[in-house]
Amino acid sequence: MNSFFQRILKFPKMLLVSILLISIAFFIVMKKNTRMETDLDEYMPQKHPAFVYSNQAEEWFNIQDGVIIAIEYSAGIYNSGTLQKMKELTKALQNMDEIEKADVTSLYTADNIVGTELGLDVKPFFKNVPKSEEKLTNLRQSVRENEMIYERLVNKDETVTVIIAEIKDDVFSQEFYHRLLDLAKDYEGPEKLYVAGRPIVEGTMAYLGPADMKRMVPIVIAVIIIVLLLVQRSIKAGLFTILVVLFSVVWAFGLMAALCIPIYAVSTMIPVMLIAIGVADGIHLYSHLHIYLRKNPRADKKTAVLDMLKKMWKPVVMTSVTTAVGFISLLTSEVYPIKYFGVFTAFGVMMAMFFSLLLIPAGILVFGLPRWKDRNKSGKQHENRFLNSIASLVIRHKYTTLFATIIIVAVSVWGATKVWINSSFLDKFEKDSDIVQTDTFINENFGGTSTLNVILDSEKEDAFKQPEILEAIDRLQNDVDGSMQVVGNSFALTDYLKRMNKVMHADSAAYNVIPESKELVAQYLLLYEMSGDPENLWKVVDYNYQKANLTFQLKSDNSIALNSTIAQIEEHTPALKELGVNINYAGSGYKGLVFTDLILEGQIKSLVMSLIIVVILLSLMFKKFSAGLIGAVPITITAIISFGVMGLLDIPLSTTTALLSSIAIGIGIDYAVHFIERYKIYAEETNEQGLTGRKTMQHSGRAIAFNALVVIAGFLVLLASVFPPNRALGALVSMNMFTSFVGTVTIMYLLLVRLNIYFKKNK
Amino acid sequence: MKFHQITGVILITLCMFSFSAIAQEQLSGLEIIQNVYNRPAPQDQEGTLTMTLINSRGDERIRKIKQYIKDYGSEEKKIMFFLSPADVRDTSFMNWSYDEADRDDDQWIYLPALKRVKRISSDSKSDYFMGSDFTYDDLGDRHPSEDTHKLLREETFDGENCYVVESVPKEEDYMYSRTVTWIIKDKWIGMKKEFYDEDSEHLKTLSVEKFEEMKDYWIITNSKMHNVQKDHTTDMLLENLTLDAGMSDNSFTERMMKRGIR
Repeated sequence: MNSFFQRILKFPKMLLVSILLISIAFFIVMKKNTRMETDLDEYMPQKHPAFVYSNQAEEWFNIQDGVIIAIEYSAGIYNSGTLQKMKELTKALQNMDEIEKADVTSLYTADNIVGTELGLDVKPFFKNVPKSEEKLTNLRQSVRENEMIYERLVNKDETVTVIIAEIKDDVFSQEFYHRLLDLAKDYEGPEKLYVAGRPIVEGTMAYLGPADMKRMVPIVIAVIIIVLLLVQRSIKAGLFTILVVLFSVVWAFGLMAALCIPIYAVSTMIPVMLIAIGVADGIHLYSHLHIYLRKNPRADKKTAVLDMLKKMWKPVVMTSVTTAVGFISLLTSEVYPIKYFGVFTAFGVMMAMFFSLLLIPAGILVFGLPRWKDRNKSGKQHENRFLNSIASLVIRHKYTTLFATIIIVAVSVWGATKVWINSSFLDKFEKDSDIVQTDTFINENFGGTSTLNVILDSEKEDAFKQPEILEAIDRLQNDVDGSMQVVGNSFALTDYLKRMNKVMHADSAAYNVIPESKELVAQYLLLYEMSGDPENLWKVVDYNYQKANLTFQLKSDNSIALNSTIAQIEEHTPALKELGVNINYAGSGYKGLVFTDLILEGQIKSLVMSLIIVVILLSLMFKKFSAGLIGAVPITITAIISFGVMGLLDIPLSTTTALLSSIAIGIGIDYAVHFIERYKIYAEETNEQGLTGRKTMQHSGRAIAFNALVVIAGFLVLLASVFPPNRALGALVSMNMFTSFVGTVTIMYLLLVRLNIYFKKNK
Repeated sequence: MKFHQITGVILITLCMFSFSAIAQEQLSGLEIIQNVYNRPAPQDQEGTLTMTLINSRGDERIRKIKQYIKDYGSEEKKIMFFLSPADVRDTSFMNWSYDEADRDDDQWIYLPALKRVKRISSDSKSDYFMGSDFTYDDLGDRHPSEDTHKLLREETFDGENCYVVESVPKEEDYMYSRTVTWIIKDKWIGMKKEFYDEDSEHLKTLSVEKFEEMKDYWIITNSKMHNVQKDHTTDMLLENLTLDAGMSDNSFTERMMKRGIR
C-alpha cells in the first residue's frame, strides 16, 4: 500500500490537476443536467399494492386534490356583491389552463336537488346573481335546506363560501400558486380571500424545503470552513479538508446528473451527510500530521506525508467503507429516492476517502506543509488537559459513567417509544405561516381541508343499489362522522339517495333515509341522470354500481388523524364484508401515510442491518469480535438518544428526521474506528493502559472533538432556517455529533479499558 | 295549339331544369338546412331504442326502451318505457316539446317503485338526455331560423356527396358556439355533425352509422355521439320500427305511463 501511495504521489501536480478537471467536468454536467423533481408522486413506490390501488381508484372516480378559495364577508355572503365575486372567480378558475371546467365546484356551479310541488328538480342555485332582497333570501333558504351544500360550500353562520378547484397532481407550480394568489387578491375588499388546499401545501413544501436548503447549505459550509480554520489553525489544512467535502459533493451530484437521475427532496440531504461525514478524514489526517511534526519538527514534507498515509490509511478506509456500507443498506428501501440517496451518499463517502488519501497528500506535496501557529506548544496544553481529564475521570468514576450511560439510554428508550410518525405536510410549516393559518380558518368553518377516500367494492354488479349495503355505508358515515372530532363530514352515493328520497316525499325529514328497495334506488338514480349532471354521480359510484367512493373530510392531515379515522372505519369492515363489500383506501393523504410508513420501515430495517454489518466489519478489521461490539456502542447510543430526544420533545418522525439515523451510523463508526485503531496502535507501542488512553485521547480524541465541533457549529446554522423540518435537522445532526463524540470518549473508552483489549494477558 | 302547348311545357320544363340546376349550384347554407328540416318524416313512429353508453374506460351501460312518438306539427309528444335494466323496468318518461322557441318542454316520469308520476322540469334544452351525450336539443329538430348558416364546401364523405354547412347560433350564450354538418345531397340527411363549445373547442361529433329508406322516408336508425372532451360515447340504435300506424292521442297520458306496455 505504501509503495502504491509513493508511486501515485510521484506526480502530485498532475494528480491535483486531473482531480480538478474531472470535478469541473462533473460540475458542468451538474449545472446542465440537474433537474429538481417536485412532483411528489414521483417519490412514491408506484408498484406498491396500496399505491396501485389508490391510483386506480383515483382514475375510476376522478379523485383529485382541490385548491380551496374561501371568500369571507363578515356581514354575510348573501349580498349581490359577494355573490358576483364568487361567480366571477369561479369562471376565472374554470378558464385557467391548469383546471378542467367541470372540476370547479362553488355555489354557482353546484346542483341543487329540490322537490317542487310537481316533482324533482335539479338545477343551479342561480345563473344571474340575485339582486333583490327577496331573491337573496330565497337563495339563503334553499342553501340552508340542502344538506349536500350547507356547511360544505357555505359555512354555518353564512359568512364564508368556498370555491373548490380540483387539479391534476402534476400541474401545481409556484408560478401557478402565485397566479392563484394574485387572482384572489384582485377580488379582495371588503371581502377577505383565502387560498388553501393540499396541492398548495404539498407544492409549497416540495419547493420550500429544497429552496431553503439551497440557501442554508452555503452558510453551513462557510461556518464549517471558519470553524475548521479556527480548530486546525492552518489555512491550507482547512482549505483542503473542505475541498475534499466539496469535491465529493460535486462528484456525487455530477454522477447523478450524468445518469439523468433527478434531484429529489431527500437528495438535498446528501451534501448534509457528506459534510458531516467527509470532514472527518481530513481532520484526522491533519491531526496526525500535526502530532508527527511536533515530534519530528525537522521532517521534510515527503517523509511526513508518507508517515501520515502509512499510519492513517487504514482507519480512513475502514471508516469510509463501513459508512458507505451503512448507506448502501438503504437499497433495501422500497422508495426509489431513498435508494438513490443511499447509493449516491455512499459514492460520495467513498470519493471523500479517495480525495482524503490523494488530494490532501498531493496538496501538501505541491503547496508545502501547513504552518501551524501553535508550534511553540502554547495552545495544545489546554486541549490535552481537557481530553486527558475526561479520560481519567471516566476511568476513576467508571460506575458513575456506566450508570449515567444506562440511565440516559433507558430514558431514551422510553422516549423512543413515544416517537410518532407524521406524514403531515402541513405540520412542516410554521404555526403562524399563511398556509397554516388559512388552513385553520377553513377547517374551523368547513368540513376540512384534508380528505380520505374510502373505496368500497363488491364482486356483484349493482351492489351499490342494494338498500342493505347502502344502509351499512350510511351507518359507517354517521358513526365516523359523529364520533370523531377530526372528521368534518362525509360524502357518498348515500347522500344523493337520501336527498332525493326526501325531496320526492315533500321534503319530509322522515324520508331523509336510504330508499327501501333496490328498484326505487335505481329509479331515483335514473331520475337524477335525467335531470342532473350525471358526471357528478361518477365521482361517487362507478358505471356498474360495483365500486363506490366515500369521501371523508378531515380537519388535519397528520398521521394520527388519518390512522384514527381508518381505525374507526375498520370497525365496520366485518359488517360490510358480510354483505360482500370490501374496503380499501385511496387519495393523496392515504398515500402519504403509506409512504411515510414505508420510509420508516426501510429506515429501521437498514438501521438494524447496517448495525449488524458494522459489527461484522469492525470485528474483521480489528480481528476481534469484542472490538466489533465495542465499536458499535457509540452508534447504538447515538441512534437511541436521537430517537429518545425526538420522543421526549415530541418531534415526529418524518421523511427527513428518519434519515438522521444514517448520520448517527456514519459518524458513530468514524469516531469508533479512529479511536479503536489509535488505541490499538498505542496499546501495542506502550502496553500500558493509562498512557495508551492519554495518547489516544490526544490523537484521535482531539481529532474527534474537532470534527464534532466543526460539524455542530455548521449545522447549528440550520436553526435559523425558515423551514421547520430543516431546523429540526440542524438540531438533531448537531446533537448526534455530540452524543457520538461523548459516547466514544466515555463509555466506549471505558469498555475498551475494562475489557482489557489489546493488552497482553499477563499485564 | 297542341304543338304550342307541348313546346310550352317542354320549354317550361327545360327552364325549370336549368333553373333548378343553377339553383342547386347556388343553394345557400340556409336552404340546405331548410331542406333537412323539411325532409318528410312520419306522423308517428313506434320502435325499440337501444341506448349504449360507453365511458372513457370502455365500461358499457345498455338501456332498452320502447318508444312512441307522434308529431302534431307544432308540438311533438313522446313516451318511453324502459324494458331493461330490470331494476328500472316499467319506468316511463313522457316528453311534450313545442315549436315555440321560449317554451320549455313538459316532462313527466313515472317511477313504478314509488307508484307515482312526477313532473321533472328541464329548464334548458342543453340538459343531457338520460345521461347520454345527446342534449334534448340534439335530439329534437332545431328550427333553421335559430342559426346563421353558411355553406363551407362540398365534398365526398363516406362515399356520399355532401354539403358541408356551418351553423352559428343567433342566441348568445348558447351551449354551442357553432356546428358543422355534412349533409348528403338529395337525401338531406346530416351524416356527420361536429359541435364546438362556448370556447370554440371541439366538443362532440355526431355520426350517422346507418339510415334506411322506409315508406318513402329516410330514417336514421343508428347514430353515435362522441364527446371528445370526456371521451364518452352514446350509441342509439332504433329497431322494430312501425311508421304511420295511426297512433291514438290517448297514448300520451299519465294513465298510459302508469299502465306501461302490455
